[in-house]
Amino acid sequence: MKAKKERGGTPIRGLLPLVALLVIWELVGDPASPYFPPPSTWIDGIQPLIDADKLLPAIGQTSLTFVLGLAIATALGAIVGTLVGASRSVDRALSPSLEFLRALPAASLVPVAALVLGYTTQMKLVVVVLPATWPILLTCRTARRTLSPVLLDTPRTLGLSTWHRTTKILTPALTPAVLLGVRVAAPLALIITLLVEIVTRVNGLGAALGAAQAGFLSAQVYGLLTIAGILGFAVNWIVTRAETSVSRRMRGTV
Amino acid sequence: MTPTISCTDLEVTLPGASGAVNILAGVNLSVAKAEFVSILGTSGSGKTTLLRVLGGLLPATGGEVRCDGTPIQGPPDGVVTVFQDYAHSLLPWRTVRRNVALGIEARLGRAERDERVDEALTMVGLLERADEYPWRLSGGMQQRVQIARALATRPRVLLMDEPFGALDAMTKASLQDQLQQVQSLTETTIVFVTHDVEEAVYLSDRLVVLNGSPADIGLTLDIPLPRPRHQISTKERADYLELRHRVYEALGHTVGEPARG
Amino acid sequence: MARRINVLGAAVFVLALGLWELLVRTSILDFAYLPPPTVVAQGLGELVSSGELGEALGHTLFAALSGWALAALAGVAAGSVLGLVRPVWMYSMASLEALRALPIVAFVPVAVLLFGFSVQTEIMVAFYAALWPILLNTISGMRTEPRMLESGAVLRLSRAAVLWKIRLPGATAMIVVGLRLGLSVSLVLTLVAEMVGNPAGLGFLLVEKGQALQPGQMFAAVFVIGVTGIILNALVMGAARLAFRGQMASSGEVSS
Repeated sequence: MKAKKERGGTPIRGLLPLVALLVIWELVGDPASPYFPPPSTWIDGIQPLIDADKLLPAIGQTSLTFVLGLAIATALGAIVGTLVGASRSVDRALSPSLEFLRALPAASLVPVAALVLGYTTQMKLVVVVLPATWPILLTCRTARRTLSPVLLDTPRTLGLSTWHRTTKILTPALTPAVLLGVRVAAPLALIITLLVEIVTRVNGLGAALGAAQAGFLSAQVYGLLTIAGILGFAVNWIVTRAETSVSRRMRGTV
Repeated sequence: MTPTISCTDLEVTLPGASGAVNILAGVNLSVAKAEFVSILGTSGSGKTTLLRVLGGLLPATGGEVRCDGTPIQGPPDGVVTVFQDYAHSLLPWRTVRRNVALGIEARLGRAERDERVDEALTMVGLLERADEYPWRLSGGMQQRVQIARALATRPRVLLMDEPFGALDAMTKASLQDQLQQVQSLTETTIVFVTHDVEEAVYLSDRLVVLNGSPADIGLTLDIPLPRPRHQISTKERADYLELRHRVYEALGHTVGEPARG
Repeated sequence: MARRINVLGAAVFVLALGLWELLVRTSILDFAYLPPPTVVAQGLGELVSSGELGEALGHTLFAALSGWALAALAGVAAGSVLGLVRPVWMYSMASLEALRALPIVAFVPVAVLLFGFSVQTEIMVAFYAALWPILLNTISGMRTEPRMLESGAVLRLSRAAVLWKIRLPGATAMIVVGLRLGLSVSLVLTLVAEMVGNPAGLGFLLVEKGQALQPGQMFAAVFVIGVTGIILNALVMGAARLAFRGQMASSGEVSS
């Protein structure tokens, strides 16, 4: 968090209003309130989940779906994006279909996927992969399209094989674009993971959140919301750092 | 003797914004071993296209391109193109040394590779900058890295596409002299594309002028100036000035009249 | 540039639908509840004629657009203050960044907790979802390039004139981007709120048709949702282009 502040230039003192809000909430809030239980009750709220050994597995299931979904989306987006970006005619052939698929909101896919594939972890993955693929596919397509022709001619004139052309030139040249896409896709994938879990209650943090809300356990809802927030913050921080450091190396701008 | 690289009745048609455009028609050129031939023309005259076809980067629409007597399909072994756009040709994620090794690292063992890289970098005078990244070097140095990368493959033919076109006059002159030295050392055949008349006359054994649309070879001129050539004394010779005069005329300039094109 | 009709792309789209039909009909794609496109089209007809679709669409649009409109007012107002008044920005931006990291969907259960199974829940969720992109885009849009401000100083414009003639037009393109993003997320989150909270609208229609094992109607509803998103996006873009022709060009938004 400190590094983020240094780079983004957002002063830390800006956290004051949030801290003040939480303190006032704590002081004024009624511990018995069904709507706004003060922060100190949140830990008690999630204590039953910890005692029943449910919290860590839930975080694990959410993280697993998220990581796998993002990994599949990255591979898919990078490959399709590169192919579409390499050829104008492939682009023209596929883009209307891709545009239509992109317009389908992830939320509307959840009930459909649940009906067709059942309430399973595979279903969760499918729903996460589809929307998370777009940002990666789009940045990769643009990057491939704007790649300098000289960069593509260089390995040819030096007699590199197709395999080496792909691994030594194309892959490193497109890596920054893929990571830029991942940076946008990662928070999205986390949101969609939680969304599927909230709607279908299959497993994971979102399912716990939905169950807590259904049982009117308001302190537990706020506690789980905080955990989801920490997860979101961690994901953002990791992908942003990875993207900037790798791009710097690959693009040669320090 | 078979020419090192040659084309006969070469024709190239490229897809343009409004239909196909005929760029080259009936181009005949043959370059002997260790010869330095310049292709001269105004911008858009098709000289880069011709070079790309000779380098196997672009297929010919008609006619034939041969390297050492065999028709070429794709870039032939031992024929390396050096591009004008050095900034996009060097890989920013590799050091100078690893950039130079790019063409040979898959074929040679470590020891021989290092030896060749050092040799090539020495020839262009950049051995002491080997471990830096190319984007930390000046434009002239970056172009020298690209030349070293081509030299490391020990090419028989070097195809150079306006290699000094983006550089300032001083850097350009010193790179021209370095290129002369390298050629006398390695006896590489060089085909050199440029729009700079002085550069073409100064460097070449022979130069050809491309003109017309579609373009073909309008003028072929032998340059019998003695070697080694020198930036000052060679350019003051009467025969140099005479040759220069004839090339300008072939490009459409007339004495006492502003240029036409 | 005049856009030519992409015949190839349309053909591929139709071909994909045909392939889908064929694979399902021949049971090569064998899922119990995967309908072929013809059944989806039939489902669409049923939804339209029964009046369910019109009612659900109206409800969802009302909730999503109300939330979005509130977010537009609040987001542009608060974003302007944050973008223009440096001390306010310094003493609150980090809080906003911390809050933004909270995944928006995780707020849906909280909203259901607070507002119950009501349309207010939907509107609040749509509002909260749309607020972020609008707010953040307004803040960065208001940070005008210093050189443009210098030209204001050279021309001796008053503070109000600088705000009205330089800052606001400069921020327009960014704000429109925020409004577009906000509209699409508010639609998505309204659907979520309908699925888990208020039983009404397109979101609930999806869940209901799923439980009633009516995959044809369900896919038809998904199709309608997709088309709605495309139309809403086009409407915002069209309106923005009409209203602020000059400013939109500056961000390259026009070409997209």
